[in-house]
Amino acid sequence: MTPQHTILFVDDDRDFLTAQTAFFQAHGYTVLTAYDPAQALALLETQTPDIVFLDLMMEHVDDGFRLGYEIRKRDHLKDVPLVMLSGVAAATGQRFDAEAGGLQEWSRLDQFLDKPVTGRQLLRVVQERLGDGRAA
Amino acid sequence: MAAGSILIVDDEYGVRSGIRQILEMDGYQVVDAETGQEALALLDAAPVDVALLDYRLPDIDGLTLLEAIKARGLDLSTCMITAYANIDTAIAATRQGIDFFLPKPFSPEDLLGVVETLVSHKQLRVEAERLRREHEAGLLALAEEKSQTHTLVGCLRDAVLVVNRGGEVVLANQAMTELLDRSECEVLFGQAQELLADGPLAALSEQLAAPAKDRTVTTLEIGEASYMASVVTFRGDDGAALGRILTLSDISEVRRLATEKARFIRTMVHEFRSPMGAVKSLIEVAVDKSLGDQVDAYLPMLERAEKRIDGMVELIGDLLSLSRLDAQQDAPPAELVDVAPLAADVVEMRREFMSARSISAEIALEAGLPPVLIAADDLRTVLTNLVGNAVKYNRDGGRVTVTGRLDGEWVRLDVADTGIGMRPENLEHVFDEFFREKRKETRDLEGNGLGLAIVKRLVERAGGRLEVRSSDGEGSTFSVLLPA
Repeated sequence: MTPQHTILFVDDDRDFLTAQTAFFQAHGYTVLTAYDPAQALALLETQTPDIVFLDLMMEHVDDGFRLGYEIRKRDHLKDVPLVMLSGVAAATGQRFDAEAGGLQEWSRLDQFLDKPVTGRQLLRVVQERLGDGRAA
Repeated sequence: MAAGSILIVDDEYGVRSGIRQILEMDGYQVVDAETGQEALALLDAAPVDVALLDYRLPDIDGLTLLEAIKARGLDLSTCMITAYANIDTAIAATRQGIDFFLPKPFSPEDLLGVVETLVSHKQLRVEAERLRREHEAGLLALAEEKSQTHTLVGCLRDAVLVVNRGGEVVLANQAMTELLDRSECEVLFGQAQELLADGPLAALSEQLAAPAKDRTVTTLEIGEASYMASVVTFRGDDGAALGRILTLSDISEVRRLATEKARFIRTMVHEFRSPMGAVKSLIEVAVDKSLGDQVDAYLPMLERAEKRIDGMVELIGDLLSLSRLDAQQDAPPAELVDVAPLAADVVEMRREFMSARSISAEIALEAGLPPVLIAADDLRTVLTNLVGNAVKYNRDGGRVTVTGRLDGEWVRLDVADTGIGMRPENLEHVFDEFFREKRKETRDLEGNGLGLAIVKRLVERAGGRLEVRSSDGEGSTFSVLLPA
């Protein structure tokens, strides 16, 4: 049985959030969603997810990085795995990767994934990060 | 060639007719005069090749006549005929430029020999003069061609530097001297390698001195600009290098377009990745049976997936329109279009949408508004987009107003809404491809940010222009100005 881990998705694509909610709930996870950084931060006042997936480009191109920084500032979240999802082309993704060294230093992102990503792909990431066994 | 024309000046009729007969038999054209004045009058009327002058004439002597002939600048050969030949007259006559001296009496053979020689002299002189003129004209043409080439090279936008086999600069056009920040004098005949050594073209110095191939092409950056530099070695018939031409073409604009294209493609990929990611995730829920075995449970998600795919199909269509517009292909012919029925039709198409959100619409066209010059389909696309936006970005219970009036030589069509408006800093980007103001109110609105980019191109294709006014929170007005 999968332990009751909580996942937070921050993304401005509602369809993506709906789908991931259904997918991860079916795999026994508690799923939290936020459409924008402000909503995410409000949620994090009371919640401590076990892993956070955040979209890079929301209202601003670097919202993901800013949000990562804000999350790290909070004591109870300073070690939560942060996985950045980006819809930017691979070329840009690579450039972000190159810069990620510096950016990770202050937002301390744990991983960078290029969109489109699937639930199955994210499930593997979650299982690895949280040490969960494969769902039955 | 005619044998030649001869003037005989002698006061004795016998001498004149005798000479005339001999010459005419040999095909010469002959005129004769009894006096010096008569001779000059004849010469003024028609020049001759050869003049045979008696030394003693009734009015003036032969030397004076000779002087008068020379003074007229006539080109003819002269021969003095005299029975009183002495060394003094001979010397005097030679000084005056007489070509030959024939003492009387002379045989017909003597006469013919002398005349033939003189005529051929004259003809040689004429031929020589003709050749000289031709040569001169040739030189002139050559000089002109050279100066044309020079002007041509000077006017080239590309910077050109030509060096000879010794590496000395033999030509540098204005673009090149400007690039080097030197005057033409400073550049010409100096060693190119030294000239380039510590200027902006230092990187090309080696390449110009010893290029790897007869044609080499490299790129280099000078300040903000990008250049394509080519070095071409030109060779003589024997294959020996005669010199090299360095040309620098400013490719900044090409670079800028390439960068813009790369950015466009990057954005486009992003625009596809997001819906693709959504669709994949939505379908995955069904494949994974996350919601159990009841098919109906998946319907809302599958409908969303379908909608997102529709959005991508629309995006593809819009990208195609945009690329067609940019390639200026298949422009439909402009026609005079009556705005009223078209605007009514466009608004009617949105009626259902509008009433669902209690948005009202009004069309107010000035009485007697002239038709506009544009392809009808283009105007329909323009108005459909603008009215569509006015509905989409409106608030519930808001209003859409389409007004039309004559504004100078333009017909101004305003599409105004009472919606969310735009932030002032975004107004200048509103016609950019893929631009969408990202804010809470617009987050869940469908759209790909290409509509207004297409509208702008359509309006400009018709010779019109597109304007926008907006205040944040109060609504936007898009104005289409088209030639009446």
